[in-house]
Amino acid sequence: MESLPLSEPVLLILVSLAEQPRHGYSILKNVEEMSDGRVTLSTGTLYGALRRLLEDRWIERFKEEESSRGRQAYRLTARGRQILRAEVGRLKHLTKMASLRMTPKEM
Amino acid sequence: MATLSRYLLYLYPAAHRMEFGEEMSDVLSERQNDIGKRGALARWISNGREIGGLLRGAAQEHLRAATGLYSREEFPIRRMRMRTEFRFPKATPVLMMVILVAVLMAIEKARAIQLSVPPSHQQVGPIQSANFTVVPTFGLLLLLGCVVGAIAWAVAYALRRSGVQRLEELKGGHKL
Repeated sequence: MESLPLSEPVLLILVSLAEQPRHGYSILKNVEEMSDGRVTLSTGTLYGALRRLLEDRWIERFKEEESSRGRQAYRLTARGRQILRAEVGRLKHLTKMASLRMTPKEM
Repeated sequence: MATLSRYLLYLYPAAHRMEFGEEMSDVLSERQNDIGKRGALARWISNGREIGGLLRGAAQEHLRAATGLYSREEFPIRRMRMRTEFRFPKATPVLMMVILVAVLMAIEKARAIQLSVPPSHQQVGPIQSANFTVVPTFGLLLLLGCVVGAIAWAVAYALRRSGVQRLEELKGGHKL
């Protein structure tokens, strides 16, 4: 797939949305949690990425019904899920190859 | 900080502000509430990151709006993005004709001037390199740079609107 490999922030955003739809701040928090604080997206970076993912139709935007303010939330599209599966498969393959070639001490 | 962030949102292109401005403002407020509970150093770091992110995001959005290019730092796709909704703008052939006519007229004018000056005319001679000073040379280089930049921008603008991506989509779905 031409678009792989994904950058880490994009991969983490997609993984975050794979679990459930989320609004902007929830994505920020979840990405931070998943990476143990290593990846901290700023608001500007997050919305640059979201805009790009929306344009590529990997994610879609909708109004949260539960929220009284009707704020916008994001969820993965079928295409986004397919890209994420392909990337996870690629990473699994890399990990497997590395584990075959590295000694247990190195890992 | 919240006020500064809201002002920084005005640096974004209007279309981006219309679409995401309110959401971004909400996220910034939530972030502020969250980091308010932390120490002073964490607040400074977080505020610095937010300001930097907004400045960089605004610059990237302007770049994207002008050229269709995305920063490669966050997004690894390496080819130029093109908007699908436009082909060549209708004004392009007219502008190209105007430029062509202007160039042809300039050539004719130069030829007329050349013919009007007798070959033995002493006032007009070859340009001596000694006549160049630093300032005119710099000005000439600056002008040349501007012309090259304008041509590069025009090429990128035409490519962005050329509909090449739409052709790709017709051939094989939405290729990324």
